[in-house]
Amino acid sequence: MTQVKAFFNAGQYYLAMITPPPFDADLLRRYDRPGPRYTSYPTAPQFSGQFSETNLLEVIKRSNEDPIPRPLSIYVHVPFCASPCFYCGCNRIITRDEKRGEKYLEDLRKEVAMVAPLFESDREVMQLHFGGGTPNFLSPTQLGEFMRFLLQHFHFSHSENRDISIEIDPRCVKPDDIAALAAMGFNRASLGVQDFDPDVQEAVNRIQSVEETLAVIKACRDSGFKSVNVDLIYGLPKQTLTGFGKTLDTVIEARPDRIAVYSYAHMPQLFKPQRQLDETQLPSAETKLSLLQLAIEKLSQAGYCYIGMDHFALPEDELAIAQERGDLHRNFMGYTTHADSDLIGLGVSSISHIGESFSQNPRDLPSWEATVESGHLPIWRGMNLSEDDVIRADLIQRWMCQGEIDIAKFEERHDIYFNEYFGEDLKKLQSLAEDGLVTLSPTHLKATSRGRLLLRIIAACFDAYLKPSATVLQFSKTI
Amino acid sequence: MSVKRRISPIADDGDEIRFCSTCAFSSACLSEGFSKNALQDLHVLVEHIGPFHEGDHIFREGDDFNAIAAVRGGTVKTYVVDTDGNEQVLGFFLPGEVIGLNAIHHAKYPCNAVALDTVMLCRFSFPKMALLATKMPGLQTQLFRLLSQDIGKAALLAGDYSADQRMAAFLIALSRRYAARGFSATRFHLTMSRTDMANYLRLAPETVSRVLRRFQTEGLVQVERREIELTQLKQLEQLARPVLRD
Repeated sequence: MTQVKAFFNAGQYYLAMITPPPFDADLLRRYDRPGPRYTSYPTAPQFSGQFSETNLLEVIKRSNEDPIPRPLSIYVHVPFCASPCFYCGCNRIITRDEKRGEKYLEDLRKEVAMVAPLFESDREVMQLHFGGGTPNFLSPTQLGEFMRFLLQHFHFSHSENRDISIEIDPRCVKPDDIAALAAMGFNRASLGVQDFDPDVQEAVNRIQSVEETLAVIKACRDSGFKSVNVDLIYGLPKQTLTGFGKTLDTVIEARPDRIAVYSYAHMPQLFKPQRQLDETQLPSAETKLSLLQLAIEKLSQAGYCYIGMDHFALPEDELAIAQERGDLHRNFMGYTTHADSDLIGLGVSSISHIGESFSQNPRDLPSWEATVESGHLPIWRGMNLSEDDVIRADLIQRWMCQGEIDIAKFEERHDIYFNEYFGEDLKKLQSLAEDGLVTLSPTHLKATSRGRLLLRIIAACFDAYLKPSATVLQFSKTI
Repeated sequence: MSVKRRISPIADDGDEIRFCSTCAFSSACLSEGFSKNALQDLHVLVEHIGPFHEGDHIFREGDDFNAIAAVRGGTVKTYVVDTDGNEQVLGFFLPGEVIGLNAIHHAKYPCNAVALDTVMLCRFSFPKMALLATKMPGLQTQLFRLLSQDIGKAALLAGDYSADQRMAAFLIALSRRYAARGFSATRFHLTMSRTDMANYLRLAPETVSRVLRRFQTEGLVQVERREIELTQLKQLEQLARPVLRD
């Protein structure tokens, strides 16, 4: 069932066709295989410990020497959480000790003071995002001081397109805090919800009322945030179609600009907190598929566009418009409109993407602290992309964001003969075509509407690092 | 079959006996009607040297002058260092262009030449070439032609031009030089850094970017990392006219 919505944005009239991706349960079941989410290519497991501070300094210097050096995006990781959610696979430290936050900020300031001067002063910051853990573990005062510090050391863009965003745990924030965040420049927020069903909340140790959540969404709107995102997870223990359906209805009624619906990845061998979950309470693969189908149906009926992977957005939201225009991008923070910036990752475990390189900070706090305090850039591992990596990264980006490839344009852009270059990979794509995931023509490769739910699988055909043995342990299942 | 589309117009098909098919010198001689023997003599002087890696110097200011060299691949930057220790960029040399010409009547190289990326050269020993030039007037003409082109490039800066004009002139000059060698006139790599470009044009690095950003907004160019596409050649030529004077 297709809906048509009309809206006006930035001087242009848009007509959005909200066509939900068809749900082919059989197909999805068949392709429920492990695979990367391609928030980067090559993926993090390919990063090498040989990539050092010297390499990073070299890469930064080179990036400054482009004729038009790229603007900057900054990601700050705040690892602290007051209480553990049992589904979590993020880098986090459970504590209620405010002093830990204060110490962390001290070291963050040291890192900023080292990193910021390395970038030419005409490179403006277009995007700043706080993730975690729980970024609002830090008080508004602490965040405000840190923002001022960042503003002193970097040159922030004054454009109204700039994004200053923060992930928020609604359980530990007051409406006044939200107003304070808005006053310091935050204009986007992402709220964790996962599921409102009390049984599920108890099973994952995240008790969060509808009221407090809606109050925070309202506060964001009242304070002038330009967009609010809500995170949901399907596949959690004790989840039912009824319960999750109610959650979806409640969230839809609040009408956030974006909704992310993540698949729960149960990998207790990798993520210790998940060992606290009762595996027997996890929904069956069938139920999990049905939960996804329910989410897609309800969200589409409510007027949300399917952006790709786990993301939905209202048609007037920037992500939906960017996708329409063909300049949607994907990075470690998910889908984004800031395609053309270099990403600086600050704090423990953060990943940077500068020039044609990736670099990651240590994942354990003591190592990150020690390196920063010794006056060195806290680089744990990274890599310089080869020419082949760059070409494949662009191709995979386009699959993940647009779901289609214009062959002639791609050839022109990368100076290659497409069929010769990707000979082997196209054979893999051919078998996906036979299964109805993609259509292949001499000029275009395109994901079918049912293939849009399996973009990861399509992109994986072009992943030069994917060997059968590697996929089992490291990556979660596609659905 | 090669997976790459852009074939370099600078051929590398020569050896000890034969010139590369696109050699800057062989065509001059052939057009003067020289015999194969004469060409043989000339070819004995050519040495394929390299690769020079980014940052390697080909010659330094004050070195004894003994050879000129044609760039076969990559980009070479020439510069001098003033009494305060500041670098002044003199020029950039693209494939097919000859370095060392400004040293012809001196005993020593008057500047430094450094590789900006991986550089391959054809080295012509000068004393031997000078001797041959007395017997082959076509060769002398060719040498003078190359020398005057070199001087012409420097004129870009001797004048009170705006940042826009300088930038446009720089891009158009590069475009013409690439086109003359068989490369695309509208799409090429800016192998020199922003700092070097700015130094050469006597502008601040931020100004170079500001001008290019404006050109991009106005649809004159498309820049992505180091690659530039001149999308409005005529308009850029218009802007560049007072500087290039043609």
